[in-house]
Amino acid sequence: MDKLASLLHMTPAIFWMVAKVVIVFSAVMLLASVWTWVERRGSAMIQDRIGPNRAKLFNRWPILGLSQLLADGIKFFFKEDLVPTDANKKLFWLAPFLAFVPALIGFAVIPFGKDFVSGGITYHLSVLDPGNGMGLLYPLAIGGVAVYGVLVAAWSSNNKWSILGGMRASAAMVSYEIGMSLAVLTIFMTTGGYDPAEVISAQGGALWHVLPNWNIFHQPLGFIVFFTCMFAETNRLPFDFAEGESEIVAGFNTEYGSMKFSLLALAEYSHLMTASALVATLYFGGWQVPFMPDPPVMLSILSFLVKMLFFAWVFVWIRWTVPRFRYDQLMRLGWKAMLPMSMFNLVFHAWRMSQGH
Amino acid sequence: MGVVVKKVELSWLDRTYVWPVAKGMAITFRHFIKQLFTPTSKRYTIQYPDMKKEMPDGYRGLHELKRFEDGAIKCVACFMCQEACPARCISIEAEEFSDLNITQGFEEKRPAKFSIDMLRCIYCGMCEEACPKDAIWLRKDYEVAAYDRLSMNYGKWELMNTYAEADGKERISQDNTPSVPRRTIAL
Ligand code: SF4
Ligand code: SF4
Repeated sequence: MDKLASLLHMTPAIFWMVAKVVIVFSAVMLLASVWTWVERRGSAMIQDRIGPNRAKLFNRWPILGLSQLLADGIKFFFKEDLVPTDANKKLFWLAPFLAFVPALIGFAVIPFGKDFVSGGITYHLSVLDPGNGMGLLYPLAIGGVAVYGVLVAAWSSNNKWSILGGMRASAAMVSYEIGMSLAVLTIFMTTGGYDPAEVISAQGGALWHVLPNWNIFHQPLGFIVFFTCMFAETNRLPFDFAEGESEIVAGFNTEYGSMKFSLLALAEYSHLMTASALVATLYFGGWQVPFMPDPPVMLSILSFLVKMLFFAWVFVWIRWTVPRFRYDQLMRLGWKAMLPMSMFNLVFHAWRMSQGH
Repeated sequence: MGVVVKKVELSWLDRTYVWPVAKGMAITFRHFIKQLFTPTSKRYTIQYPDMKKEMPDGYRGLHELKRFEDGAIKCVACFMCQEACPARCISIEAEEFSDLNITQGFEEKRPAKFSIDMLRCIYCGMCEEACPKDAIWLRKDYEVAAYDRLSMNYGKWELMNTYAEADGKERISQDNTPSVPRRTIAL
């Protein structure tokens, strides 16, 4: 690694940083686009359909429909890029990026593998090294910013349906952010720190010798609240009120087409990836391998990937299982169920800690 | 009159919402696995251009004008089908012919032109019912399409050959009996 770095006239630290940024973000983007395929094929299988299988690479290999991704990409690139006449052009252009970038950079603090030492330097497998002072507050804050993308997209298109979608997204965000933050707060409290590295290392070991010491087994209620809120946060069914295809056309992205639309769609899937990485980190021990106190680095990366992709799949799975909510039901669930539940979770664990458990 | 809607009392387990969702997920997962391990040929979806649905008996598809074994047309140009057709899409021009033979019995009339406008046809099967000679059948071909309107007007020879490939019969494109005015023949 040092050799490669010196070849590129960089210090190993900078080289490592650049490599991490490139690898992590391109991996997330790749996974996000592959997940559009998983979503389509998976939903097809769930509903006893077949899903996209017609597009063929070089008119020969359908590769299980994966070449549909390529076809879609090409199609999006060559589509006419329409901007409505009365739209706010600048914001209309900006919105997809506002949606896409926060969805992606939320991933930055999440450790995707165990640290390793090579040549006297410790390499951390997360884009931002632990101890940066932001910790897990950062993805939460970024998640809050992500709604601006939706809202700006909605507002700038100057379309009634879009604005309705945007308003709903922001309202849902406000109501679910609280429950989610309280659930995460409980984890910070029991861990004694909010750095993802601390949260993960606190989840090593075993619980009663039979279960891995993951937060899910300590705080199942917190997990349910957090996971539900993640659905609201990523604007996915059953909480897809920003889009609401059955009632407000396509919500915030009604006016979007071509590459801008695909960026918005990609933002949704990147958000999904970040959300599942967060769930894996907070409640399922991140890169920890069950019953293995000191896993090899590769195994830890694999473990993290498996967990993350599993939760990404659960997002898809739930989407095609549960019917959508009505808007007032969403609000009721947010304020009358999620908030008290996470409040109770917080107080309960505070009480347990005060009893010295 | 008001209708009393019976409210379903949910058990506490169902009201948690988490348990029913888990049950639903189990169901969808079962479908997922089942569909995943079913070979494409056995799935519900028929992959149309590659696979075709076998139509049930009694299906009313594209018409065929039947022929005798020697290739002579069965139709005697009686105009029954034209009369019966609710869509008025059959048009027939009759002609006389002679040189009778055994298979044709004593018919002496046949269509010189017989055309069905497939764009107007509603595949009701009335022509088949009306035909006294069992000369027109609606069979199982449902792929009736063309690039222009004119070629959707099936003529006599097209109608006689619609199922030639499917049945392994040879295509015919002319009457095997010469049309000689009857009165020239001395019976
Ligand atoms: S099927 Fe019906 S509409 Fe079509 S030609 Fe026969 S009688 Fe006419
Ligand atoms: S097809 Fe049948 S009903 Fe129609 S003219 Fe010929 S013999 Fe008569």
